[in-house]
This record gives sequence, C-alpha cells and structure tokens, in this order.
Amino acid sequence: MPSQLLELYLPKAAEIQEVIEENSQIKTFVLAFVDPEYNDGFSYEPGQFLMVSVPHCGEAPISISSTPVNRGTVHLSVRRAGKLTEAMHDMHKGDVLALRGPYGRPFPMASLVGRDLLFVAGGIGLAPLRSVINTCLATGHERSITILYGSRTPSDIAFKADLQAWGQRDNVSCQLTVDRAEPGWDGAVGLVTALLGHCTLAPHETKALLCGPPMMIRAVLGQLADRGFADQDIITTMERHMKCAVGICRHCHMDDKLVCKDGPVFTLEELKQLNVMELQG
Amino acid sequence: MTEKYILKKDHLQPFLRKLKKSHQLVAPVQNRHGDTLFTEIDNLDKVHIDLDNQPQNSLKRFFFPQQEVLFTYHNPARDSYYFETVADESAPTLYFGVRPCDMSALLYMDVVFLKNARDPNYLHKRQNNILVGLNCNEPFANCFCNATRNGPFIDFGFDLQLTDLGDRFLVEYDRSRGQEIISSWRQFFAEAAESDVKAQYQAFLEARGKFRLQVHLDQAVKKLAEDEVPESVWEELSMRCQDCGGCAYICPTCTCFTIRDQPISDSDGERVRAWDACTFSGFTLMAGDHNPVDRQMRGIEKRFRHKLQFDVKKDNRPSCVGCGRCVNICFGGTDIVRFINMTCCGNI
Ligand SMILES: Cc1cc2nc3c(=O)[nH]c(=O)nc-3n(C[C@H](O)[C@H](O)[C@H](O)COP(=O)(O)OP(=O)(O)OC[C@H]3O[C@@H](n4cnc5c(N)ncnc54)[C@H](O)[C@@H]3O)c2cc1C
Ligand code: SF4
Repeated sequence: MPSQLLELYLPKAAEIQEVIEENSQIKTFVLAFVDPEYNDGFSYEPGQFLMVSVPHCGEAPISISSTPVNRGTVHLSVRRAGKLTEAMHDMHKGDVLALRGPYGRPFPMASLVGRDLLFVAGGIGLAPLRSVINTCLATGHERSITILYGSRTPSDIAFKADLQAWGQRDNVSCQLTVDRAEPGWDGAVGLVTALLGHCTLAPHETKALLCGPPMMIRAVLGQLADRGFADQDIITTMERHMKCAVGICRHCHMDDKLVCKDGPVFTLEELKQLNVMELQG
Repeated sequence: MTEKYILKKDHLQPFLRKLKKSHQLVAPVQNRHGDTLFTEIDNLDKVHIDLDNQPQNSLKRFFFPQQEVLFTYHNPARDSYYFETVADESAPTLYFGVRPCDMSALLYMDVVFLKNARDPNYLHKRQNNILVGLNCNEPFANCFCNATRNGPFIDFGFDLQLTDLGDRFLVEYDRSRGQEIISSWRQFFAEAAESDVKAQYQAFLEARGKFRLQVHLDQAVKKLAEDEVPESVWEELSMRCQDCGGCAYICPTCTCFTIRDQPISDSDGERVRAWDACTFSGFTLMAGDHNPVDRQMRGIEKRFRHKLQFDVKKDNRPSCVGCGRCVNICFGGTDIVRFINMTCCGNI
C-alpha cells in the first residue's frame, strides 16, 4: 500500500518549542514537527484544526491559533478541559507530542477581503479567530476591524500580547469586557453583546466572525440579525465530539453534515438548514 | 442476455475446495448449538455450510472488526514519541453465501470507509476478496429488503451470484473477476439453458410474494423528510430503548466507531478503534459534561434519522438494508420496523 494511505490515522511527532501561559486555564503551545522536511512543507489555513496525540490520552481536535503567514511553527492554544488537555498542560519545552492534519473547512478568507470585519469571541474562542486576525493584518487588510472579546474575569483574559498589538493598529478597534471585575479593572463589565450594542457597524459591508460558548453565540446572533446582518455574512465555528477527523467515524455529525469535514466553519445560512443546539433555546 | 451458468450442487464442494487453495473461506456455518454464523472455515469436511438459515451475524466484522489496533505508540522519554504500523495479516478471502442485504451493506460500507477518505484498514481487507452471493428464494420472518429495494434478488456488487434452482445453482457474474473464476474453473460450470433462466425469474417472482412483514419504508422516509413524525413517536421510542447498543452492533450498516489509547506499559500502548453506537449517551459528550444532543430523548432518533433521512438526502437511498436482524435483537421493542410502523400506521 502507498505509505500516504497507511498514514491516514498516523500522527507525526512534534516538539514543543515554547509554552506561553495565557491564563490559569489556557496555554499556547508553539510546535514544530520533528521531521524538518515535513515541517517545512506543512501548510494550513485559518480555521483548520489538528488532531493532537498525547501518550496514553488518545487524541483531541485543537484549532490552529497561529497564522500560516508565519511558517516554521504552529500554535495550539489549549484550555484545560479533561484528560488530554490536562496532560498537555503538564508538558514543557522540549517535550514531544504528535499531530495529524490539518483538517476541516477553513474560514472563507477570500470573502473577507475588502470588507469591514467584526470579530466576536469569548474565552478560548479567540484561538481560531486569532489565526484569521493575524492573517488579515499580515496580508494588509485595509478596512476597519472590530474585535470584541469577553472573559470571565480580568485575570482570565488570554492572548494579552495579541490584544495589545491589535489595539495599536490604526484600523483596529479592540474592546474587552469581563463578566466579573477585579480590583484594578477599569474596563467594561458585562456581556460582549453590550459592547456590540455600542459599536458602529455597516452591516451590508461587514463580515462577522464569532467563536465562543453557545450562550454567547446565540445572544450575538440575535443582535446581528436585529442590526440587519445577512445570514451568509455571519460565520462561526461548531464544536463536536470528534474521533477520526476524516469524515468516517461520525461522532461529529450534525444532521447530514460532519463538523470535521463540512465544518468546523459554517455560515449562519448553512446552520439554519440544520437542527443544531447552538441556535436553539 | 448476460452470460449465465449452471453449477450443479454436487459440484459446489469441489469448487469451493479449489478456491480455498488460494483464499481463506468464510461462509454461513451452523455450529453445534444450531446457530448459523458467518465463520472462517479451516476444514470444509468438518463443517455444515448452512444456506437455509439467515446468518445471525453480517459480514461487518470481517471488514471492520469490533476492535482493531490501528498502530502502536511508544514514548520512552518525554522527547521521544513514535508510532509503528501493524501489519494486517488478513489473507485474500472468499465470502460465500452472502445474501443480497449483506452484499448491499458491504457496498454501503465502501462508501463510508472509502469516500471521504480511504481508510487503510478497511481497504486492505476489502481488496483481494471474492464475493459469492446467494439470492433469497425464501425470505426469512423479519426480512423487508423488498421495502429497502435491495433484495430478495440482487444484480450487482458480487463477483458471482447464485440462485438456488433445486439440484443446481444458476450462476451470474458482475465483475470481471467473477468471469475469470468461471473461466479458470470451467469444468464445474455448464451454460445455462433458457429454461434455467426462466426458472430463476419464476423463483424471483415467488420470493417477492413471500415477505411476511409489511414495512412502509418509503412512507417513513417521506414523513421524516417533511418533518411529520409525531413527537410522541420519539418519546415512546426513547422511553423504551434500553441503550444497550445491540441494534447498532448487529446492524450491517452501523459503522460508527471510537478511537482510544490502550496502554500496554508506562511507555507503550496501542491506538485502538472499536465499534461505537450513536445511541450511547457518551457518543457526543464533550469535555465539561456538555452534550449537544439530548441523548436520553434524541439518541435513538438520531439513529433512525441517519439511516432514513440524512443518508437519503446525501446518497439518495436509505442505509437500512432490510435484513431484519435488529427486529430479532431488540428487547425494548424499538427496532426500525417498529419505528416505521409507529410513524406510518400509529401502531405501537
Ligand atoms: C474543531 C474543534 C476545534 C477545537 N479547538 C480547540 C482549541 O483551539 N482549544 C481548545 O482548548 N479546545 C478546542 N476544542 C475542544 C477540545 O477538542 C476539547 O476540549 C478536548 O477534546 C477535550 O479533550 P480532553 O481529553 O481534555 O477531555 P475529555 O473530557 O477527557 O475528552 C475525552 C475525548 O473526548 C473527545 N472530546 C471531548 N470534548 C470534546 C470537544 N469539546 N470537542 C471535540 N472532542 C471532544 C475527544 O476525543 C477527547 O480526547 C476544539 C474542538 C473542536 C471540535
Ligand atoms: S433481507 Fe432480503 S436479502 Fe436479506 S436475508 Fe432477507 S430476503 Fe434475503
């Protein structure tokens, strides 16, 4: 059998180059494949994800949070959630884990060109959007970019270095909010929807990209609809239990779609054809 | 007219003996408990190939084992993590006595395992095998392949297809390999007479009239597509389903699997894939106890929608092949026939 075939489920070893502690729950792992040739040839698009293997822990899907413009390493930003992600948090620079991918349908980057962009994220949800934002900035996106980011508390704010860098750009407005303030916090308190309420947007010229907990998604979708955003201009990502990531095991089914292959990126227009929990209740 | 041949029943054993020289043989065998199961046959003289009863298992496990090692992993030090593929030892195999439902199920599995990506383990087992089918002159008690439209006779997918004509089989081939087999072992085959072909057609007509179950599958498919299945049906089904997974395991077209690590020592282990069932509550469970599907209420609904709605939408045909095995196995009374009847006739 050709070796490419045999490798469908076979991950490739990758070494941790650096661990960035984003907050107490999220770490960003900077990784490079151990095989230099493979590492050089590795490419992906914003919105795609990798299946991460950790010894004895199986695999978990994690979005790539870096931009493909910067070659040589990939970033995975991981929130502690269970067995594998906890084990990852115990890993350090020099340790080796394994990756396969990239998988999934990426964000429609070409359709973002020439449009105003609105990014709304909650918690770890900023990870895949970080890839999009940094790609847009690196490729000279000229129109306005609004980034709204919600965290539980000020100490939960992740990706601080990025947020700071984005805020310094002329065409970027980066606004943060927290559910609960802590001493020293003089920023906004409340849901991202409150921030959104204060934004001036041109719905017909804007693409909105959202990623975060279902509650947040629902609330933001409602507001965007009220403000006249068309369903095809609202783009989000779906999360489902996943095992094979290549469209066979069916764990990530959403009606006749599979998140690993047809997603994880979907427009609201596409999601409305399906019976998905995130849009209900 | 495609070429058709006659294989006398007296010639079957010698013919299989010849093919067995180059192929492992799997056929329905009745064991000493009276159970008929597709079984690997070592010695043809010591077994009773049973073509009168429906095999209790399908061919699923031969192509997609209940549990199989994808590869081994090794982690001797924190900076070393590598993988080794495991050679698939399965030999070229002759599957004999495959009913149209199981043949159709295999064709469905081809789509699942080879369309979105080419699953190496499945592909390896699917290559180099010979499929010899058997049309059903006598549908069994729970069969409804007439409703799923893949039986009781089939005319594609096989290498050779047999129809029982009393003291002889009518033999057809679909793929070139079937033709090669006939040419290689020409001494066993005579050309079929027109009367044989007529007898086959007669057997087909009679078989079609012998189904005991009335299953309004098309109607159920339509109701699902139009979202007209009463909520009470789903309630009743989910209340009675015992979440045992029996239907999914026995089903020749249920192919969902999980993948997990099985440690062998501190530093080594196997990555294993194993059958899973979409009716299990853990199937869609995500970290933090978050489940996008209300399993208690919706697990069994997802299963039926997958087979009769989503697969129809995608591939234009349901992925139930009407073998009736789940009817036999479901002690909760929530098998697919029950669902269809509840939906279409209000029968509970
Ligand atoms: C497309 C996609 C992108 C994702 N991107 C990120 C990301 O960038 N950062 C991040 O922190 N998390 C991300 N997640 C969620 C992440 O996959 C889960 O938190 C992780 O699988 C939990 O694994 P665990 O072993 O720690 O938890 P456990 O609860 O022990 O999970 C056991 C196994 O169940 C499956 N599983 C459990 N929860 C999920 C889940 N939410 N999604 C998919 N499979 C699951 C996995 O196979 C996992 O190994 C993403 C999920 C998807 C589907
Ligand atoms: S379902 Fe059809 S093909 Fe299968 S055993 Fe019954 S009659 Fe034969």
